[in-house]
Amino acid sequence: MKKTNNIYVLLVSIVILVSTKANAQISKAEIIATGLTCSMCSNAINKQLKSLPEVVNVETDLNTNTFTVTLKEGNTLSPKAFKDKVEKAGFFIGSLIVTTKSETIKQGGYVVVNNASSTNPEVQIQVLDKGYVTEKEFKKLSKSFKNIETYASNNEDDFHIKIIN
Amino acid sequence: MRKVVILFFAFIFQINYSQELFVVTDPASNVPANTLSVRVMQSVFKEQVETGYNYHAMPEITYGISKNLMVRSTVFVSTRSNTIIAEGASFYAKYRVFSTDDVNSHFRIATFGRYSFNKADIHQDEIEIMGHNTGFETGIIATQLIKKVAVSSSVSFEKAFDNKPDYVFPSNQGDNATNYTLSIGKLMYPKKYTSYKQTNINLMLEFLGQTINQNGKSYLDVVPSVQFIINSQARIDVGYRQELYNSMVRSAPNGVYFNLEYNFFNVIK
Repeated sequence: MKKTNNIYVLLVSIVILVSTKANAQISKAEIIATGLTCSMCSNAINKQLKSLPEVVNVETDLNTNTFTVTLKEGNTLSPKAFKDKVEKAGFFIGSLIVTTKSETIKQGGYVVVNNASSTNPEVQIQVLDKGYVTEKEFKKLSKSFKNIETYASNNEDDFHIKIIN
Repeated sequence: MRKVVILFFAFIFQINYSQELFVVTDPASNVPANTLSVRVMQSVFKEQVETGYNYHAMPEITYGISKNLMVRSTVFVSTRSNTIIAEGASFYAKYRVFSTDDVNSHFRIATFGRYSFNKADIHQDEIEIMGHNTGFETGIIATQLIKKVAVSSSVSFEKAFDNKPDYVFPSNQGDNATNYTLSIGKLMYPKKYTSYKQTNINLMLEFLGQTINQNGKSYLDVVPSVQFIINSQARIDVGYRQELYNSMVRSAPNGVYFNLEYNFFNVIK
């Protein structure tokens, strides 16, 4: 009986996981990268981002190191995909703002920290976790969010977000 | 020479953007993960003892294994024996151990190791495993971007062995050395970026020194250079190396560098 239960739990978890991912659509990501000033460095990030099959287009502002990434509909990317790519190029994320369906953030994995809510079908959110903001900002945020247990634990699979609009 | 150096420094600290893709030294930053970089370094150096010039070419490939680790292999070709021959090769790995980045700055530390073999004759006190000696080198590099000026420095230990099969390392020479470098780089053009197609022009100033540990014989060289980055993917460097101070036997310390580099991003799908 116990075995059947375990299998049932596993199946349900998989179904939830798959369905969550299917709805977790990010349509646009605006990334500001830190630690670079050269166009070849910027191009390394540009090429890394373009290597994601979900990416339709990357627009770059070389003066501010801002990358605006447009994504295919129905993708299942999480913010971590952008962090991994920027770090593979040898740099870090200073700011990440993603545009996603508002139902995405109501599912597991997202913790809204600024008490805001949005009635729009699409929301813009900023990820505030370590590795998604500058080191200085992370230190500041750690102080302000010291009551949020999950923030300090730096779990890679949950994202602490601020709803921008 | 001193005036030129002072002018160069004055020039560098005035301008606003910086670069660290140095011509002779390597910064603490790595080639991006899954990027293959192909470079041909060429140099023509004037012989000091004999008359004439010698030509060295060093084709090399560099690959970024992960965000922190890169590996490089170099082949040494020279005309020192009056015909073009491959004299040896080198394997190099660099690991980034520390990074702290902010919007317009970063500080990185990396460690590296290099092993080279070479079959050429040993004709100088200077230990140079990049094209002259068989041996190894290991060291640490720190690179800092301060208010848009990049400064990089390294310290390393270098040891030479026999250049097998024909040349033993002379017993009257010191076979290990401490090397130190200081590099400064600056983006001169463009002042404002408009696209990846724009050619970037960088100026670099690098200092390279060595002290043979057993006898204290030393040298210090300066290498001013200009660099063109084309299409944010290719690189052309032209540099001139000049000895500033020397107390050892060196066969050809002064000469020019001409490097060509091309980067293939995301080589493995």
